[in-house]
Amino acid sequence: MEIDIRELETYQKLAHDGAQSAAQSLSQLTGIDTRVQVTDVSLMSPSSLSYEFIGDEFAGVNIDLSGEIAGEIVLAFDEHGRTAITETLVPADDPEKQKSSIEEVGNIMTSGFVDGWANYLEAKIKSSPPTYIQGTGDDILPNSASEGDTHLFVFRSRVEASKDAVTDPIDFRILLVPDSDSLERALEPDTGNIVSLEKLEVFNEMTREGAEKSAMNISSMTGIDTTVNVSRLSLIPIEDIPKEVGNKRYVGTVMEFRGKISGYLVILFDQPSGRAVVDALVPMETDEQWGETEQGALRELGNIMTSGFVDGWANVLNAEIKHSPPEFVADTGASILRPITGKIAETEDHAFMLDSNVQTNSDQVFTCQMLALPRRDELEAALDDLLLENAENTRVDPDDLF
Amino acid sequence: MDVLITDDSGFMRDLLREILEEEHNVVGEAENGVEAVELYQEKDPDIVFMDIVMPIKDGIEATGEITDMDPSATVVMCTSVEQAEQMKESIKAGAEGYITKPFQKESVLEEINSIAAE
Repeated sequence: MEIDIRELETYQKLAHDGAQSAAQSLSQLTGIDTRVQVTDVSLMSPSSLSYEFIGDEFAGVNIDLSGEIAGEIVLAFDEHGRTAITETLVPADDPEKQKSSIEEVGNIMTSGFVDGWANYLEAKIKSSPPTYIQGTGDDILPNSASEGDTHLFVFRSRVEASKDAVTDPIDFRILLVPDSDSLERALEPDTGNIVSLEKLEVFNEMTREGAEKSAMNISSMTGIDTTVNVSRLSLIPIEDIPKEVGNKRYVGTVMEFRGKISGYLVILFDQPSGRAVVDALVPMETDEQWGETEQGALRELGNIMTSGFVDGWANVLNAEIKHSPPEFVADTGASILRPITGKIAETEDHAFMLDSNVQTNSDQVFTCQMLALPRRDELEAALDDLLLENAENTRVDPDDLF
Repeated sequence: MDVLITDDSGFMRDLLREILEEEHNVVGEAENGVEAVELYQEKDPDIVFMDIVMPIKDGIEATGEITDMDPSATVVMCTSVEQAEQMKESIKAGAEGYITKPFQKESVLEEINSIAAE
């Protein structure tokens, strides 16, 4: 299937407007202040999507859509959100009524999300009655996500909200997973900016392999057993990228890569994880938290992880992708990303972002996020040149050449 | 054997030195391609371990300059880069071996010993 990237941008904007409309509905119903943080269009595996709902208990609604856009929509609140809604709308301690209030709020918000799409398409999109969902991980996923798809095309919105300035922020997510017929119809090539969906899927898979290789390199160098939990390719407005990373503090490296595809790769460890890898790499006491020794060790790890990440692209594309020596960074995620997105925004308003999360399965808390921001025109040209039959050739053994 | 280590990472130079000094003599450490070429002329090592991604001058360019100066020079790339095109460029520049990071101590010693045996 071929998709029109300009059309995809339009639908991303519709999803963003839909999320805003849904957020406004929530504000009107409950008095909760809302802010749409990020809306993107992502290509991801069901397991990557499932991982977004790990770590908290979510509750919300699942609604089937039919008509011009058919598929499923899921709206899920984290525990703070659920409590804020039920406390406002259902004063008594009545679990059934609380559940019903979530269903109704979800239903109203979802209508706000979908109606903009129907109006844009000048067509009817019918919604089924809401089904209440509650749980973590797979419990929250759309049913279509468990039907053996290797990749899902998902419109994702993350909304933050707060009830009174002092309460904890609320997080709720809206996912729209259109079925393949709707997707094909909506993204029918029209403007000439065409990308093969199959090639996007292959590229996404290559990136997951790259992230797995990087995770292996972390394990091999530090002894910390790591795995890739999330790997996705998203089309996202450039201004939203710093918000996507958020204001948590990170340490890591930034690299620029050039060649068949050029762009930036950012590797971010949360502070304790950064400390854990440095302690494993440089097993000696140092006076400074991030002195030259620590920075050097992280730079070298970043260098090796970057190669793991981008070499597969180069090998499949029969091309060279060179990267600069890594630059050490220590700041909030948004502050690290802003100078990079500033440069990209000089020529683009949307970017493809390849986002992989590396974590441990053990008790040790460890997170590392790898974000690649390739130049969009070069990625589109590279996808055009990509030979699907070459997609397996991500790895090269030096012994075959030397 | 006299070995010259070239890597922009001090951490990696220390690691390589520790491995190599068990059996060989490390005659110098360079932080970039320019220093590698200068130190090669000065120290005349038997073998050069050469990183690829470095500031100022990368390892492939430095390898080309060293083998132009001394066609009998022995250079082993020691890098995280695993791209076929850059491996081919390294061969074209005159490299005789290629070790990928992260490496095991044994693979470094095996590589140097197999080159010594040739």
